[in-house]
Amino acid sequence: MSGGQGPLLRTQGLTKEFGSGRTLVRAVRGVDLTVDAGEILLIEGPSGAGKTTLLTMIGALLRPTSGRVVIDGLDVTALGQRELPAVRRRSVGFVFQTFNLLETLTAQENVEVALNVAGVSGAAAHARARELLVGAGLEQRLDLRVRGLSGGERQRVSIARALANRPRLLLADEPTANLDSRHGRDVMQLLRELAKEEGCGVVIVSHDGRLRRIADRVLTLEDGRIVGADAPDDRPPRPVSGARSG
Amino acid sequence: MTGRRHGPRRQPRWVPVARRNLLAEKARLAMSICGVAAAVLLILIVTSLYRGWSAAGGVFAELPGDVWLAQSGTSDPLRTPSFLPADRLDELARVPGVRAVIPVYARRVALSQNGHDLNVLFMSLEAPSAEAWPADVRDRFLPEQGRVTIDGVFAREAGVGVGDEISVLGHSLVVQHVYRGGNPLFETAFLNSADAAELLRVDRFVNFFALVADPGVDGAVLSSRAVAAVPGSEARTAAQFAAATREMVHQGFLPVVGVLVAIGFAIGGAVIALTIYTATVEKARDFGVLKAIGASEGFVYGIVVKQSLSIGVVGAALGVGASVVVATLVRDRVPEFVTDLRPWDATGVFAAALLVAALAALVPVRRISRIDPATVFRA
Repeated sequence: MSGGQGPLLRTQGLTKEFGSGRTLVRAVRGVDLTVDAGEILLIEGPSGAGKTTLLTMIGALLRPTSGRVVIDGLDVTALGQRELPAVRRRSVGFVFQTFNLLETLTAQENVEVALNVAGVSGAAAHARARELLVGAGLEQRLDLRVRGLSGGERQRVSIARALANRPRLLLADEPTANLDSRHGRDVMQLLRELAKEEGCGVVIVSHDGRLRRIADRVLTLEDGRIVGADAPDDRPPRPVSGARSG
Repeated sequence: MTGRRHGPRRQPRWVPVARRNLLAEKARLAMSICGVAAAVLLILIVTSLYRGWSAAGGVFAELPGDVWLAQSGTSDPLRTPSFLPADRLDELARVPGVRAVIPVYARRVALSQNGHDLNVLFMSLEAPSAEAWPADVRDRFLPEQGRVTIDGVFAREAGVGVGDEISVLGHSLVVQHVYRGGNPLFETAFLNSADAAELLRVDRFVNFFALVADPGVDGAVLSSRAVAAVPGSEARTAAQFAAATREMVHQGFLPVVGVLVAIGFAIGGAVIALTIYTATVEKARDFGVLKAIGASEGFVYGIVVKQSLSIGVVGAALGVGASVVVATLVRDRVPEFVTDLRPWDATGVFAAALLVAALAALVPVRRISRIDPATVFRA
């Protein structure tokens, strides 16, 4: 259910360069990709491949050197700096590798504060946060501070927070990297269930091969370029089709 | 069903991020609040002392007499000697509108009592006995012959009380009454007029005439008539005389008070600013997370302002409360520190503390605006 006729997310020639002259680093080079509503896209690649840089540009946190990011028909790269927070709170949800929960708040409050940021408060925020956390299996942990939660529970709270404002696009950066295999499996399952339930497109960047199980499509990024596209099974990468590197 | 029944827990409308941030570091919060409270305490105690000292000349407003006649050129009754011819008493008594004329004698006398050097303003009112003076006027200002009334500072400094004897210029006087009040500039005492004539060596002169007006008589009219009756004199109301004394205190102490108050505000502001800046730096990652999930600069900055104002409100309230206690204790135990803590002063300082707290919240503005939300992706 994208705002336009095309995919939910489209990047065109997305490029990011840091530094200049002899210190110039091309972190992302002309990436084109698309994500449809309800689709889970996994972007794999080794450390330093540019995965996180790509994700932060898609999430309107980092301006590309060139190229476009279109979310739900809106070209976010054409927006001014002051307009980007509104895009992030309405259209994008983030799941971080290190969870990035606010330590002084409870699980419930960490989700509610995301709703507060979007102007939702009081009973409405409380009910929505509770609904998501119960859905994440945290009904008994609502009032616990972050330090009282396990790593897996923290990531569940982080996912609930990311979905709080019903974003069209969910961006996850190494969501299982800090979790053991059991918690990693649980989080993957939750991510898939909630994303499908909420009907949002998902982009996951990771070098954790286990995430292929929940992905609808897999892209491989190396040296800032997409070098392969793949089905989520264990077939070797095939030549890029529908995504190109520039 | 067993057990207690609980009603639905009331939920705050917004997640109290600011409060939680502050309470996360209780020791630092306590120190910050105490710092603000100490600054407010300093400001209010200095201000209340200033107010109290300003009232040093208030004794003239409390003495009987609507219009005071002094020698021309008398700037204030404490520093400028005033001599008027005593023989003008009858002339003044005949001035229309004058109900009673009170010759007033005043002289600063240095004396030593119980090893303490004192600088006492001795005054005496030669009040007509026919007048029905109120009891508090009699008790404070009209002692019997051979007796003296003294202020609390005099009593404390000299180590004397009611019934004790003091020696004034070789004469022994018994303390009849100790009245509340005093100031750090000089002690005050009242003599019987018969003793004053002998002790203060007044003969053909009086220092002032205090005129009691008939009911309904205009003070200005009475003043002009009285001045006409005593050549070389000028008239002031009791309030003007008191104001002239206050002005003397203002000139001496206002700059000092101003500096101390400014230091107090600077300390309070610095304490809040340092706390808020430190808390902001510590929570930079949290603020980055909030920005990443879409919080505007205003939302984040609102948290910082709430933190700052919370410290300001609690600290200032504590400071005002402490000031009331300290001002009362000081007044009771150190009489020369005449404190006068006024509600409007406390309200003004409280409001100013909040203003300083709001300004202190501006300190981390640049720090907040520099927080890059993309950094939260770094592990």
